[in-house]
Amino acid sequence: MNALISNVLTQVCITLIAVAGIYVLTGLTGMFSLGQAAFMAIGAYASGILVIRTHIPFFLAALIAVVMATGIGYLIGYPVVRLRRDYISLVTLGFGEAIAALLNRMTTLTGGASGLTGIPRKVTLTMALVSAIIAIALAAFFKTSKYGRQCIALKGDELAAKAMGIHVTRIKMVAFLLSVALTSYSGVLYAFYMSYVDPTGFGWKKSADWVIMVFFGGVNSLTGSTLGAFILSALPQVLRSMQNYRYVIYAILVLIILNFKPSGLLGEWELTPRHIRETVARVRNKFGAKKEG
Amino acid sequence: MALLEVKHIYKSFGGVKAIQDFSIEANAGEIHGIIGPNGAGKTTIFNTISGVYTPDQGTVILDGQDITKLEQHKITRLGMGRTFQNIRLFKGLTVEENVMCAFDPQSQYGIIGGLLPTPKRRAEEKRGRELCEKYLEIVGMKDYLRERPENLSYGMQRRIEIARALMCEPKILLLDEPAAGLNPTEVGELTELIQRISREIGFGILLIEHRLELVMSISHKIHVQNFGETIAVGTPEEVQHNPQVIEAYLGKEE
Repeated sequence: MNALISNVLTQVCITLIAVAGIYVLTGLTGMFSLGQAAFMAIGAYASGILVIRTHIPFFLAALIAVVMATGIGYLIGYPVVRLRRDYISLVTLGFGEAIAALLNRMTTLTGGASGLTGIPRKVTLTMALVSAIIAIALAAFFKTSKYGRQCIALKGDELAAKAMGIHVTRIKMVAFLLSVALTSYSGVLYAFYMSYVDPTGFGWKKSADWVIMVFFGGVNSLTGSTLGAFILSALPQVLRSMQNYRYVIYAILVLIILNFKPSGLLGEWELTPRHIRETVARVRNKFGAKKEG
Repeated sequence: MALLEVKHIYKSFGGVKAIQDFSIEANAGEIHGIIGPNGAGKTTIFNTISGVYTPDQGTVILDGQDITKLEQHKITRLGMGRTFQNIRLFKGLTVEENVMCAFDPQSQYGIIGGLLPTPKRRAEEKRGRELCEKYLEIVGMKDYLRERPENLSYGMQRRIEIARALMCEPKILLLDEPAAGLNPTEVGELTELIQRISREIGFGILLIEHRLELVMSISHKIHVQNFGETIAVGTPEEVQHNPQVIEAYLGKEE
C-alpha cells in the first residue's frame, strides 16, 4: 500500500478510538469534556516513558498507561459527574490545560517543550485498525447494554431517571471512565506510531475537534460519530495539496451540516447486525437472480 | 404498622410553606386520593416522599424502614414507583427501552457484561424484556414495543409511564395527575386500569388528581390540601360534604 495512504489511515484509526470514547461520554450521557485530549496525553506519555526508561514490553506499558489514566480519570470524574453540565466543560478544560502545562514543565521526565523522543515505533496499520474495530465494538455493546440505556435516560431527564432507581452519578462515572480508557489507549497508539510526542497536540482544541466530529456525524449515533470522525480526520490529509484552503473547506463543510441537519449526518440512525444481514441477503438475491436469468 | 407511614412532614421554600404537617398511612391494596386547588402543595408532597426533596421536619417510613433522608434512587429501589404530572418519558429510547430503564438498576450483570455479550447479560436482558412485555400488556401497550413514545398519543404515553413505574416493583405507587390532558373515554379506561392494577398487583396507591369524578370513584380515603395544609381527611362522601372543602373549591358564600 502507498505509504501516504497507510499513514493517513493509521492516524484516522487512532482518532476513531478517541472519538468512540467521546461518543460514549457526550453522545450517551450528554457530558461535554474539553479535557479529553489530556487523557490521550497521559496514555501517550506514560507508556512512552515506561518503555524508554524501564524497557518493559510494549503491551505491558500500554496496559499500565491505560490503568493509570483511568485512575486519574476517577479522581477527576468524582467531582465532574456531580456537576451541572456547563460546569463539566469548565472543569475538564482546566484539567486538560493543567496537564498540558505540567507536561511542558516536567522537563526531566517528559522532555518539556522539545517533546519526548526515541519511543520505539511499534504500531502498524493492522494493529491500529484492529484496535479501532474493537474500540467501536465495545462502544456499540455498551450502548445497547443496561448502561447505555441508563445513560440515554439520564441524558434526557435526570430527575425521572433517579425516580426510576437509576444511580445517576454511578452511571455517569462508568461512562466517563470507559471514555477515558478508550482515549488514553488511542494516546498509547499515537505515541508508538509517531515515536515522538510533544505537549502542543493535546490541548482543548483537540478535544473540541473530537466533539465537532461527533456532532458532525450525529451525536446520537455511534455509526454517525464514527463516520464523522472518519471524514473529518481524513479530510485535512486528503486536501493537503490545497494548503490553507483545506481548513476553510473543513469549516464550511461542518457549518453546512450543522446548519441544515443539526442532528448530524446520520441523525439517530445506527448500522446494526440486522441491517448488515439484510443487505447481504439482498445482494445475494440479486446475484442469484442474475445467475438464474 | 402501615406499609407507608408519613408522619408530620413540613417543607418550605424560602417563605413559601409548601407542606405543613402532612401525615398519611397507606397499606397494600388501598388507594388514597390527594386533592386540592393549584398550588396546594400536592406535587411537593410526592417529591418529598419520593426523595426529590428532604423534608424540613417529620419522617417517612416505607415498609418499616426510615427513608426520610435517603437518596431518590435508593428510595425507588426500596419500593417506591411514580409517574409525573407532565409526562417524563425518556427521549431517544423506544417504548420497550423506556420501560427497561426501570429494570436496569436491578439488572444483575456488571461492566464486563456492559462491554461484551456475555451469557449472564443475555439472560438478564431476556428477563428484563419479559417483564417489560408483562407490564406493557397490563397497561395495554404491548403492541407498541418498538415505537418512540413521542409519536404516540398522550393517553398512550400515560400508560407507558405507568408500566415504567410498575417495572420498579413498587410497594407504593405515586400517580401524579394521571388523567391530566386525557379525553373522557381515556379517563374511563385509566380509572379501570388503576383499579385493576391495585387489585391484581396489590400495592398501595397515592393519587393526586384534579378530576373529581375519577378520584371520588376509586379512592378509599381522600386528603384535601389547601395552601400546604390538610383541611380534611375521610372517605369520599365525608369530604364531599365537608364545609371547609366546599369553601376551598367553590369559595366562601357571601
